[in-house]
Amino acid sequence: MSSTSSLSPGIASDAPEAALGRTGRWYAFIRSIPTWIVWLIVIVWSIPSLGLFVNSWRTRDAQTSTGWWAVNVDELTFDNYDQIFSARNSIWDSLANSFAIALPATIIPIAFAAFAAYGFAWIDFKGRKGLFIATVSLLAIPLQVALIPLLQLYVGGAKWTLPLLDKTITLVPDFDLAGETTAVWLTHTGFAMPFAIFLLHNYISSLPKDLFEAARIDGADHFTIFWRLVLPLSVPVLAAFGIFQFLWTWNDYLIANTMVGSNPDAHPTTILIANLAGDFGRNEHILPAAAFVQAFIPLVAFFALQRFFVRGMLAGSVKG
Amino acid sequence: MTSLGHRHYGVGVPKFFWSHIWGEVLETKQDGGTAVETAATPQPNSWFATQSLKARVLLIVGAVTTLAFMIFSAKIRSTIVTVVVAVAVCAGIWIGANLLFDQSRERWQRFQSLVFAVLGAVVGIIIHGNGLTLGSEGGFFSWILGPLVGGLAFGALGYFLAGTEDAQQRLTVSVAGMAVVGLGIGLLLREQYQPGVDWVATIVYTLVFAGIGAGLRVLTNRPWQSGVYLGATLGWLLGFWAGADVGDGNVGTAILGAVVPAVLVGIHVGQTRNPDYAGRVQLDQTSRAWIFLGPGLLFIMVMLVIPAIRTAYLSLLDRDSESFVWFDNYKATFTDKASWDASNWTNMFTSWPFLIGVAVLVIAALIGFRQKELTGRAVELGNPTVVPLIAGFLFVCFGVFTAMRGTIINNLWWVVAVTFFSTAIGLAVAVLADGRGGEKIAKSIIFMPMALSLVGASIIWRFVYQTRDISKEQTGIANALWIGLGKLSTGSGIPTILGMVVLGIIVAVCASFMGQSLVRRAYGRAAVPGIALIFFGWIFIRYTQIIGGGIGGFKTNANGETVGETIVFVQESPYNNFWLMVILIWIQVGFSMVILSAAIKAVPTELIEAAQIDGATDSQVFWRITLPQIAPTIVVVVTTLIVLVMKVFDIVKVVTNGQFGTQVLANDMFQQAFNNLNIGRGAALAMLIFLSVLPVMVFNIRRMQEEV
Repeated sequence: MSSTSSLSPGIASDAPEAALGRTGRWYAFIRSIPTWIVWLIVIVWSIPSLGLFVNSWRTRDAQTSTGWWAVNVDELTFDNYDQIFSARNSIWDSLANSFAIALPATIIPIAFAAFAAYGFAWIDFKGRKGLFIATVSLLAIPLQVALIPLLQLYVGGAKWTLPLLDKTITLVPDFDLAGETTAVWLTHTGFAMPFAIFLLHNYISSLPKDLFEAARIDGADHFTIFWRLVLPLSVPVLAAFGIFQFLWTWNDYLIANTMVGSNPDAHPTTILIANLAGDFGRNEHILPAAAFVQAFIPLVAFFALQRFFVRGMLAGSVKG
Repeated sequence: MTSLGHRHYGVGVPKFFWSHIWGEVLETKQDGGTAVETAATPQPNSWFATQSLKARVLLIVGAVTTLAFMIFSAKIRSTIVTVVVAVAVCAGIWIGANLLFDQSRERWQRFQSLVFAVLGAVVGIIIHGNGLTLGSEGGFFSWILGPLVGGLAFGALGYFLAGTEDAQQRLTVSVAGMAVVGLGIGLLLREQYQPGVDWVATIVYTLVFAGIGAGLRVLTNRPWQSGVYLGATLGWLLGFWAGADVGDGNVGTAILGAVVPAVLVGIHVGQTRNPDYAGRVQLDQTSRAWIFLGPGLLFIMVMLVIPAIRTAYLSLLDRDSESFVWFDNYKATFTDKASWDASNWTNMFTSWPFLIGVAVLVIAALIGFRQKELTGRAVELGNPTVVPLIAGFLFVCFGVFTAMRGTIINNLWWVVAVTFFSTAIGLAVAVLADGRGGEKIAKSIIFMPMALSLVGASIIWRFVYQTRDISKEQTGIANALWIGLGKLSTGSGIPTILGMVVLGIIVAVCASFMGQSLVRRAYGRAAVPGIALIFFGWIFIRYTQIIGGGIGGFKTNANGETVGETIVFVQESPYNNFWLMVILIWIQVGFSMVILSAAIKAVPTELIEAAQIDGATDSQVFWRITLPQIAPTIVVVVTTLIVLVMKVFDIVKVVTNGQFGTQVLANDMFQQAFNNLNIGRGAALAMLIFLSVLPVMVFNIRRMQEEV
């Protein structure tokens, strides 16, 4: 890397270069090498996705006989998309499941985390700092750690066997959530909470103190301040978190596969395409189309709301 | 997007590493850079109205699509109804609690009766709603009756208690009231629930819990008596009721079981006093905090903390969680050949990454000696030892990883390779693209994979890695390029000659750079072009077939046909691991690029300009100024990536499912726990993942503590 960075300009200033005699065409060419390298990386980076996209419009025969770069107009077809949106492989159901997971898993944490973030930021109580650090330190816990007990909780509730006695008492009844999308979004809600509290707290605690003092002098209580002042001011951060969380839950595979992997009726899109990829060969031709449909919503969010998106992603990258 | 513009309120502005990042990202991403607002106060006007036209249109389209989905899909409809109901119920409870505690400062009596009434209603729901008492078969009505009676009884008790300050009177009222409540419950209890008592259990539990209660109180410097009462209550409930044979008792035992805990609670309550105004303010504050924190913390406890503790417990039990095996699961993981196989470690010395690595390290050492003579330091940021040192270390690591196999080794390999390459390429793009034309477009294309799911990315790369028989046309671009290169190097047409010329030029350029440095006696500076020269020179020799066959063993046989092998990227162990890592690198480069790019833009320009005026070259500026300035950000990127990579699951699951020697901890954990149903082993693996990211987590938390 240093061979190129030694040529990179940083911030170009003409005076020392002229003094050193660094002029002329050859030098200009050398100076442009970093740009070429960047664009080379860009091309390499976009080729895999481009290949998938092109293949999703090609017929089965074309896909299995030649590479996507050999595409010609005759082989273009809607058939792959027709197939995934109809009949056996209907992607509609799994799209609905993905929404059924991602919507509650986005909305509910926003509400609860906003409460908690406000509590941590603007209500004085004993042990506030310690509790906040404890909460936030849960942020990077690998979610694998909680999966087995959570699945057990959803399958059979929680029971406790009394020591010395041969008796069990039910702590949490069996709600029969195994295989339901409810189990998935409940899990996401729990896992999102430390991160959401952290992100919203950072923002809410940086709101100007004068605002709160003025409101309190006017007789507003915590509830009013939260509802009338903090929530409207926090919309940008709520949006950033919302987008991150929506994409996280939309793109999640591990939790969904653990909680609803056994129930095909509740499969979200990620499981659908993973399963399509799993049954070697038979559905290979509709896989690109399905994968593209799965990625469509994240991509729209990416291109349309890049600002929120970047912020949400940056903040969320530390999440467990 | 003006409402986002004021940098004072940028997300998370004051704290942790994204402080400057978000500020910068905001600035670079703004439309035409016009939206920097200087207003000191945010404007609470409609957020929607402040959005750009594009964003507004998109929001509307999104809303309409969602509506359409709602109409056509029963699933979405029911989901939305669930969400609305859940949010409404939670909000109702939440607002109710807030209104309730609004009373606590000024209207103590009303407040206390209401609190007691709520508690009574809860008791009523639990007992009557579950059909334990007579008269609860009436369906919906029984769900009303129980809480109503309970609420009224407790509410009255609370009202009288709040009305008097006399200690004796309070105790009498409280004990008598609770005794009546207990008597009522005992009398009303259905016959089939009357308990046949296990006296030993009752007494043992009551004593033990009373002791625990008292101990806890003493530990927190409070009078021990109330701890005894409350502990004894809980112990009695557990020992008497849970330990009993339900249905074997009579009215007497039922009454006894209900009256004793009720009276114990009564004694506790009766000994308290009504708080004075300061106490009430205190209560108001504390309870307000808990109302705000409660729902979130409840979720964290139920979904994260308790399950994590339980996983630690399960990892000490056997596969069906029936008996303790202590650390056998961990032992099994470490002794299993599949997770840690060092038997072929001697292969390391013959593997080519290791040999190259050693060679490069030798070069690094030579340069190091020379540098020490010149500058007094062998290794230093920006001196020519650094690059060969890192490259050599990386190659040696790869040599070790290819010789020793197993899940744990694979995970280590993932951590080293993905973390290094994602950070390095991200940094390279960030530096090289900085301030150049098309920077925004280039960066957003490289960042785009971050938006895809890991499953989707894996599928994309499966197509890239597709392999077909050599006699057929390749459909995967990786093999197509590979074979194309092989054919090119063995061909004889113009493209082959062109390729030779291009390679020749590259070799010549490297050689000239090296020669120039040698002539100037800057031996250290010759290292990087020298290594490049070895690399490209080797390719050139293979390409021109001066020695041996063409690239990748491609040859032309007697009939003039090209003979060669395709690469089965996902199956050829151990390097298939690396081809899987490429997928994650492809995704994560965008992440490190965006963060590092923002950090680079935050480096003060005065520093760089000053250095340039002093005659620093661009590489000196990079190594001596930019890199030290962004070092903290690099640390953040690296730690984040380590945590992320330790948990890598989706890619391995989708592409190979751990076959062909690509198993990693997270996928192993999933298979053990949910496919083999070996709960103990799965929990142990989960704990291993947790323990391996723990140091990094602790490091990050301490950083954060410093900054909060």
